[in-house]
Amino acid sequence: MRIKVLIAKPGLDGHETGAKLIARVLRDAGMEVIYTGPRQTPEMIVQSALHEDIDVIGLSSLSGAHLELAARVMELLRAQGMHDVMVIMGGIIPADDIPVLKQLGVRAAFGPGTHTQDIVEFIQKERAAAA
Amino acid sequence: MTSRERFADAEKRWEEGPLRERTAPGELPPQFRGYSGVSKDETQPEFRTGGGEIVVKRLYTPADLDGTDAVDDVGFPGQPPFTRGRDPLGYRAFRWPLSFYSGYGSSESANERYRALCAAGSTYVSLAVDLPSQNGYDSDHPLARGEVGKVGVALSTLPDLERVFAGLPLERIHTGTVGNCVGPWALAMFHGVGQRFGIDPAAMHVSIQNDPIKEYTGRGTYIFPPRVAVDLAGDVVAYMRTHLPGWEPQYSCSTTLRWGGCSTSQEIGFGIANLIAYTETARAKGVPPEEYVPWVHLHMTADNDLFEEVAKFRAVRRLWARIARERFQTDDPRVLGLRLTVFTGAHRLTAQEPLNNIVRTTVQILASILGGIENIATPAFDEALALPTLESTRLSQITKIILHDESLVGQTVDPLGGSYFIESLTNELEAKGRDVYDKIEGQGGAIAALENGYYLREMADGMYRYQREVERGDRPVIGVNKYVVEKDVPIRLFKGDPDDERRQVERLRAVRRERDAARVDRALAEIRRVAEGKAVGRDENIVPAMIEAVQAHATVGEIFAVLREIFGEYKAPTVI
Repeated sequence: MRIKVLIAKPGLDGHETGAKLIARVLRDAGMEVIYTGPRQTPEMIVQSALHEDIDVIGLSSLSGAHLELAARVMELLRAQGMHDVMVIMGGIIPADDIPVLKQLGVRAAFGPGTHTQDIVEFIQKERAAAA
Repeated sequence: MTSRERFADAEKRWEEGPLRERTAPGELPPQFRGYSGVSKDETQPEFRTGGGEIVVKRLYTPADLDGTDAVDDVGFPGQPPFTRGRDPLGYRAFRWPLSFYSGYGSSESANERYRALCAAGSTYVSLAVDLPSQNGYDSDHPLARGEVGKVGVALSTLPDLERVFAGLPLERIHTGTVGNCVGPWALAMFHGVGQRFGIDPAAMHVSIQNDPIKEYTGRGTYIFPPRVAVDLAGDVVAYMRTHLPGWEPQYSCSTTLRWGGCSTSQEIGFGIANLIAYTETARAKGVPPEEYVPWVHLHMTADNDLFEEVAKFRAVRRLWARIARERFQTDDPRVLGLRLTVFTGAHRLTAQEPLNNIVRTTVQILASILGGIENIATPAFDEALALPTLESTRLSQITKIILHDESLVGQTVDPLGGSYFIESLTNELEAKGRDVYDKIEGQGGAIAALENGYYLREMADGMYRYQREVERGDRPVIGVNKYVVEKDVPIRLFKGDPDDERRQVERLRAVRRERDAARVDRALAEIRRVAEGKAVGRDENIVPAMIEAVQAHATVGEIFAVLREIFGEYKAPTVI
């Protein structure tokens, strides 16, 4: 089964370059990828994930609002019982915040300079382990 | 023997002599004994510029400038085609304003930082505004959650900006902000502060970036369909030219296009196409090019390839002069002289070993100075990690001053002019930039090229190519794919105050309670009337209605809710 990924930009940050790049890399790696476009509320993102039967949500945030936004996405996923959806993040995320994100249930955060193949492999390995 | 023949003869002797000896099979010449990393021949089959579009030759000679005219193509600074600069005296007579794009958190903390920057010599305060305000939402809008005060200061109502500027000498310093899709509102806010502080707004010096096109192509802070946004930006231009003649109404920006993946020649071609679109909009609103062009900037970036970037700045000035002459049928130097601003390459900042970014930024600033840039802004070295600290902000400002005051690189105008290499690169980049511009005009101009997804496709493809080059190791990025260290140097990062959002929302609610509600209703009705007129083709300037609404303490969210209702919101084509 192909892995279904939703790449989403929560909040008001419109810097899409990284999100689009990752969408393209994951698609090239054989995954089915949906990109939401910018300015999504956590509610919209979780709704899309539910509707599209998504396996992985990739959240992109460069504005510094990542903690609040991730917390809300995780809360809504739990409320919907979507425990098997894996959430990862990318963008400008200070190292100090990564343990906080993991505490919230975000599986990994990839910062600037990440080799895109590392993201592909991370998703494949985690999904294989979950299956 | 003519001098050309003498030169060809000498070149042949060089090729057959020293060059052949150096690369002949066998041992390295004795002078290289003990060196490391010396090879018998060149290490690459082909050398290319950082942008990748131009093959760089081993050596440039006078033969490369055959056909380059010393008057028509190179000329003199201060004269068309302005290859050597827009000012005949260059940095001998001016230094760029010391500015830093900053602002965060509460209006009080922003105010504190601006006071510190001014005390350290800043003459230009460039106000970063948070994303809710830039998108026309109040601080208590559901979409604003977590974003209030994050990338800039929160401005919902006029009292917010009054707190930001309290105690700053607004009649002496230059101030400005981005406000690309909320340009008329940004103008009204600065105008309102002047009035509240008892300063004649016309005596202030304010710049509004007011460039919606960049938002659809890289930064994402757009609201309305592009043609509506460009029309509203045009209102700012027309209003300023009539009522606020010392204000700068537009910085047409190709910076974010380059950051988003477009090539060097596209930065030139897209940049000129966008500025042509704005010049035409101004003209349609009764502001002729000679009244518009001298007051605006083309806002570019500087990448890491020093010589290519210097040539790019020279090429874009010359190409603008030529295109503007053809298009507007004029020799007026006010129209042909293009003013350039640079925001150096934030896209090249690495999160790995952030101190390396100081070196990158220094070279980019050097490229900007050698390219005759009139206004240079830089990010701080820690910005790939978080908002900058006061110390990193100061350092990025001081870098410029050291280059100017200690390295003395600005002592002669266009110091690299006449270099065989620089002039050749300038020629090549101008020609390639012209091709890009022609392609855009062939599609119906900049706005058409962004509506049909052309800009977005070109950028996405360029970014993908770049990333592949880095990941294959074809393009060295020190600290990322080469000379990687296991442990980064620890640096102190900026942390915002998590309580700012709550305080801001409380203050906004207090303003809503205390204002004259009837005056707000009247002001919003007037905005509605003007916007409804625009929707049916009646071009009335929206700025006066905006000034009244801001002074009545209507919130940014209320004002833009009216406009959203009338103009609708833009859904961008999805291009991956």
